[in-house]
Amino acid sequence: MVIPTGIGCRIGGFAGDGLPSARLLAAASGCLITHPNVMNGAALYWSDPRIHYVEGWALDRFAAGDLALVPCRSQTVGVLLDAGMEPELRLRHLQVIDACRATLGLRIGPIVTTDEPLQVSLSQGPSGSSWGRLGRPQALLEAGECLRQAGATAIAVVARFPDDPLSGALADYRQGAGVDALAGAEAVISHLLGRHLGLPCAHAPALAPLPLDPALDPRAAAEEIGTTFLPCVLVGLSRAPGLWPLGPSAERPPEGALRSEQIGAIVVPAGALGGEAVLCCLERGVPVIAVEENVSVLEVTAERLGVEVLRAVSYAEAAGWVLALREGLDPQALRRPLRLVVPA
Amino acid sequence: MRLEPLHLWFELGPGPLRSQVLAALARHGDPLRWAITAVETLEATGAGATDGPKGRRVRVEAVLLR
Repeated sequence: MVIPTGIGCRIGGFAGDGLPSARLLAAASGCLITHPNVMNGAALYWSDPRIHYVEGWALDRFAAGDLALVPCRSQTVGVLLDAGMEPELRLRHLQVIDACRATLGLRIGPIVTTDEPLQVSLSQGPSGSSWGRLGRPQALLEAGECLRQAGATAIAVVARFPDDPLSGALADYRQGAGVDALAGAEAVISHLLGRHLGLPCAHAPALAPLPLDPALDPRAAAEEIGTTFLPCVLVGLSRAPGLWPLGPSAERPPEGALRSEQIGAIVVPAGALGGEAVLCCLERGVPVIAVEENVSVLEVTAERLGVEVLRAVSYAEAAGWVLALREGLDPQALRRPLRLVVPA
Repeated sequence: MRLEPLHLWFELGPGPLRSQVLAALARHGDPLRWAITAVETLEATGAGATDGPKGRRVRVEAVLLR
């Protein structure tokens, strides 16, 4: 299941509001691979052994057949803190780490602070999707290497993001419209670190709390009930599958590892078919289930790309398609009219 | 190391989409994150042109490592 980050998806474009759909697809499929943007609800999360939490870069590499995913009972989650955080914000994140250790029993640590502030900046692409940059990418990578050397098998990054409480984009987001302005930069951070280290990675932005908004959209509310976005990331990474490189000279992955040949279908918003994982699946003949209800700022549809997909109005219908495929049913048999066979 | 945003348009040829995007991006740097974010249909023009679409061009937005 893919809901691309930072393109304003009506479902999953806010604070983990794709999670109910993910739970449904997990039940229909028995095994769902999805990414933090779908699963992260700041202080809210859902842990399901059928759902594999895989960051976007690794998800693309998995779909391309470059990586296998090795299910894991428990990761040692290292935490990378941005030196740009104020002392109070830093302390709040340290307390989240302690809370997840004490209350959830997660194995967390080591903790490393970058040598200098990461200098995150936010921007927008010509499509209206959110993007972002890091002023000091090398500081991120060096801190990540320290964590790996100290024994971390997965890494949670907390970077200080620019506060802009009066911006129109933030006001729109809190009212349930527009694009998550932070999401693009978050994806850049986790892609960069995941690719460099070959470990499961995910990101939580550090921000000053916002004033109460009585008209806050329910889809954005999960980000305003706590003081940090870190709990869901720690929970997600604590059971994230390990990443196993594949290739002619690579060792065989252990038994039980998930490989791209096992992908039964990919579920994606109907207007967001231009990502790498979707294109990989199209090339290999994996059914692509395009959810029309989940509109975004993009209109990269099957018609425009000239490709074949299974159309679903909603995630509930998509779950039906997944179940049909899992049962070996021909999707054509479930639609009318059913055309006559044509002998060759 | 620097992270640079890039957006580019190019015309799609026959064959798999992904390899065409990767080839187009490789001319500019090492792509960290990318997606096709728009598709336009090109109409046939000029002498001998027939009705219907001639091809497609796509816009790709990316962040490159340089």
